[in-house]
Amino acid sequence: MIRTLATLALFLSAGTALAHGPTPQKVAGTVTIKAKPDAVWKVVGDFGGIAAWHPDVAKAEATGGNAEGATRKVTLKAGGTLVEGLDEWKGPERTYSYRMSDPDLTALPVSSYSATLTVTPDGDGSRVEWMGRFYRGDTGNEPPETLSDEAGRAAMNRYVGDGLKGLKAKLEGGPTP
Amino acid sequence: MTSGARLIGLLALLAAWPAAGEGLFVASQQAARLTRIEAGAGSAARPVAAAPAVVAADADGRLYLSHPDGKAISVVAPDGSVRSLPLEAQPFGLAVEPDGRRIYVGDWSGNRVIALSADGAVEGEAATGPDPAHLVLGPPGRLYVAEREGRSVGVIDTDAMRRVGGFPVGDGPFALAADPARARLYVANVRSNDVTVIDTAAGRVLATVAAGASPYGVAVTPDGARVLVSDQHAAKVSVIDAAALAVTATVPVGHYPEGVAILGGFAYVANWFSDDVSVIDLATLRETRRIPVAEGPRSLAVVPRAPEASR
Repeated sequence: MIRTLATLALFLSAGTALAHGPTPQKVAGTVTIKAKPDAVWKVVGDFGGIAAWHPDVAKAEATGGNAEGATRKVTLKAGGTLVEGLDEWKGPERTYSYRMSDPDLTALPVSSYSATLTVTPDGDGSRVEWMGRFYRGDTGNEPPETLSDEAGRAAMNRYVGDGLKGLKAKLEGGPTP
Repeated sequence: MTSGARLIGLLALLAAWPAAGEGLFVASQQAARLTRIEAGAGSAARPVAAAPAVVAADADGRLYLSHPDGKAISVVAPDGSVRSLPLEAQPFGLAVEPDGRRIYVGDWSGNRVIALSADGAVEGEAATGPDPAHLVLGPPGRLYVAEREGRSVGVIDTDAMRRVGGFPVGDGPFALAADPARARLYVANVRSNDVTVIDTAAGRVLATVAAGASPYGVAVTPDGARVLVSDQHAAKVSVIDAAALAVTATVPVGHYPEGVAILGGFAYVANWFSDDVSVIDLATLRETRRIPVAEGPRSLAVVPRAPEASR
């Protein structure tokens, strides 16, 4: 049974590898944080350091620091692994962009995504915007419910929302959600 | 009562839809709207069937929309009337013969290009490499297709409707632009972050030009001197000098820029995430304005000149 599941997971991964359907979806989240932009950037701007603030992340293994082409392998607490590559990292502007390298439908039911995270001043504090574009897990015309646009939206919104809440909690010293 | 209201709504819509003529049109996928950009401002948006991905135009001003999830092509006539051509496929890429007598449709998950008559009858199909994305017509009888998961561009003989060859390109070829003057084809490769330049007359790859992150749209100026590439993940447009075959300028635009089109000394860029269109002055290579449009603009089409009055 375990073997069957493993084979199935492999098959799903291979079958949708790098798939990129015709109907992209948006994900976007923002949060305001009572901390200076530099302080927020110090935490969130480290591409490989996502495990320090994202409550859904168990661990992240990174290579390449914050240079273009750096990678991070993010293992989720709920299972599954996201392998992501850094496209652009601009310290002075406090923003970075990255994209998924290999899909893992057990981590997020999407076949492809890219995202940008930006920290800007907001009054005495900061505003963090995390936005991205993704494609449903099954990019064919009749996706199963678990790999539909709706399923992808729900999962991506949850992942981004949890992350921003976690970041705010870490920086403001509140309880971790 | 209801039908009366509907009729009035329809009349209002048709009245608001400008007659054909030189112009630029933008398809918004999320909002299912087609917007005409006129004199640098969005002038009229009309509803269309759900989730249009690509818009193309013929010389008579007819506009064609692909609906990948709706298994159909919409044809919008210059008078505003719409015909839906159902198609058992996942239609994405579109190319139309200038006279509108043939429509080529890429079937994304079906790995083929389908040729339709003007009334939607299937006239033939050609197998392609995996995940056919954008299409572009070349010299008479030739159609090029970006084979996104094949690292290739397929060459289709449109008379035989058969794939007669291919070019190796970068990783994730998605968008195409043809320059008939220099017999060149420019291919935007999403994953390898570069543009493959093909000499279609000699039948060989001429160069690979590094671009920004995720090149997702491409257009050539009418004189063939410059190639504009939208860098989707970098929120900018890279300008390639066609002689030097290198990026000589970059222009910041909105978030997730995709389709690029050129008309009358300006380049127009559909910013998918920002829900607007960037207007770039080609003389100064600066963004001069942003025109808000309905949600999810991805694709642009140019109607090159006014149709003859008799049509």
